[in-house]
Amino acid sequence: MALVLLIAGCSAPQERGRPLAIGVESQYADVLSQIGGPYIRVRSILSNPNTDPHAFEANPTVAREVSGAALVVINGLGYDAWITRIMAASPTARRQVIDVRRLLGRPADTVNPHLWYDPRTMPVVAAAAARAFSALDPAHAVYFATQAQRFSASLNTWRAALEAFRAHHGGTAVAVTEPVANALLRAAGCRILTPRALQLAVMNGTDPAPQDVAAQRALLRDHRVQVLVYNQQVTDPLTASFLQLARAEHIPVVGVYETLPQGYHYQDWMLAELQALRAAVTRGVSTRRLGPPGHAR
Amino acid sequence: MSVLLSAVEFLHNEPVRVALIVGGGAALVCAVVGVATVMQRQSFAGHALADVSSAGGSAAYLLGLNPLLGFLGLAAAAAGVMEWSEIREARERDLLTGVVLGAGLGLAALLLYFASTVHSASGAAVAVLFGSMFTIPAAVVPLALAVALTALTVSALVHRPLLVSALSVDLARAQGIRVRAVSLAHALALALAVSLAAMTVGAILSTALLIGPAAAALRVARRPAAAVALAAAIGLGATWGGIYLAYESFYWTPGRGWPVSFFIVALVFAAYLTAGALAVRWPRRAVGLPSGCEAH
Repeated sequence: MALVLLIAGCSAPQERGRPLAIGVESQYADVLSQIGGPYIRVRSILSNPNTDPHAFEANPTVAREVSGAALVVINGLGYDAWITRIMAASPTARRQVIDVRRLLGRPADTVNPHLWYDPRTMPVVAAAAARAFSALDPAHAVYFATQAQRFSASLNTWRAALEAFRAHHGGTAVAVTEPVANALLRAAGCRILTPRALQLAVMNGTDPAPQDVAAQRALLRDHRVQVLVYNQQVTDPLTASFLQLARAEHIPVVGVYETLPQGYHYQDWMLAELQALRAAVTRGVSTRRLGPPGHAR
Repeated sequence: MSVLLSAVEFLHNEPVRVALIVGGGAALVCAVVGVATVMQRQSFAGHALADVSSAGGSAAYLLGLNPLLGFLGLAAAAAGVMEWSEIREARERDLLTGVVLGAGLGLAALLLYFASTVHSASGAAVAVLFGSMFTIPAAVVPLALAVALTALTVSALVHRPLLVSALSVDLARAQGIRVRAVSLAHALALALAVSLAAMTVGAILSTALLIGPAAAALRVARRPAAAVALAAAIGLGATWGGIYLAYESFYWTPGRGWPVSFFIVALVFAAYLTAGALAVRWPRRAVGLPSGCEAH
């Protein structure tokens, strides 16, 4: 394997000749670069808003990159609807588009767009990326297929941890502010008690019903949940008030991320969030932001 | 029995209680300040202040400050600028007001963009522009009440001299009224009222709360004092009624409440129409001073 990598390194084509792949969300870009290795240039557009706030001159740059891309991976479900408009502005037959929602065969009216938190999602994306890369660069088809398999295998640590959590702490009651990490929480066997309408109101920025706000506060005040999971990248007065109440009631909180945290790969990120959940449930420890990767392991 | 139970549940709901207190305060202040504003024909200036204050509300979102402080800061600054410019001619004043309004909303657009990209707070725009009463943090209540009390006090103090200056500036000067100071104090009260209204029904809809009850009251009331009382009753009725309807709407379309701002503004509009119908059946002399003046 080392020999293969060495040879691969030597024969890496020139920067200009390498096809460009765009993962609109940084987590998809991370998977693309793990599959493409040295043969594919990878860019992301939506990276961590906390560390990389998009300046307004970003738009022409994005349009230029998209017009030159051979593959674009989008999440779909309206999460990145603007990219479809940018792509429509520069139509080309050469560009392949992977819509993750369609790839997974989810219905178009799926309410929760955070598909990447589902343990079944990324292996499918990795396989599709390997197929797309093989079409672009047939000489390295074997490399791409191998990388996709390795990637899927590398998720086993996380999947095993999910199984272990489900076995020991299945049925744990949790409150959330938004449905960001709901797929992970379900895979871990947690019960999400927050009213669905409240999660959607916070996610979509609409007016929440007072009954739902009161129900969420009661979950925390009456200690009917063991942990509050909140979107670490969103701060507004309502979620701040839930966090404050949780702190007053000594209920641990776990901050989850919408996009890949700085320095993480997808598999480390998912594992770190599960470990933060476990720390909250077993030791009552809050995790507001993830530390540097590796530390979590 | 079930109605009683539902009422008890309604009043026990914490977001509802905060909304009743802050919204009630806003409605009262708006009624009092609004009557003077309508009589002075400053409705457009009031609306402009609200639009400018939206930039402050957005900044508060961005910086994580008390939203009322944000609305208040910019509304007061804009009121100061518009008063300081000391333009008496209506056309010039409207122009300046329009330009300030546009600049304020433009700044709000920029700040909301940052709020939604840096914090990905997608709710900021709706909350700032259209209000989100059930998400008002309980910590806002003391400040909101202090602002309401200040606005009511200032309004009460300048009520008479303001009426005289509205009639005739020369007459006011002859009576020893410091016209400039009175007008500045009214502008301050207006800024306080507008920021409270922006906090509750949002910056764009705050005009409805400021002007609506006052305009409806002035259609039927015979004296300014009666107009203030009636406007207060309409404002409170519309706000509390709106909160109640928004609460109940949760059960009309299961699990999905309708926005409270819609109900409040709809009730204010209904009150205005009703007042118009009453005024037709029961004509009276206008208390709206400027229109009374024009007749002479």
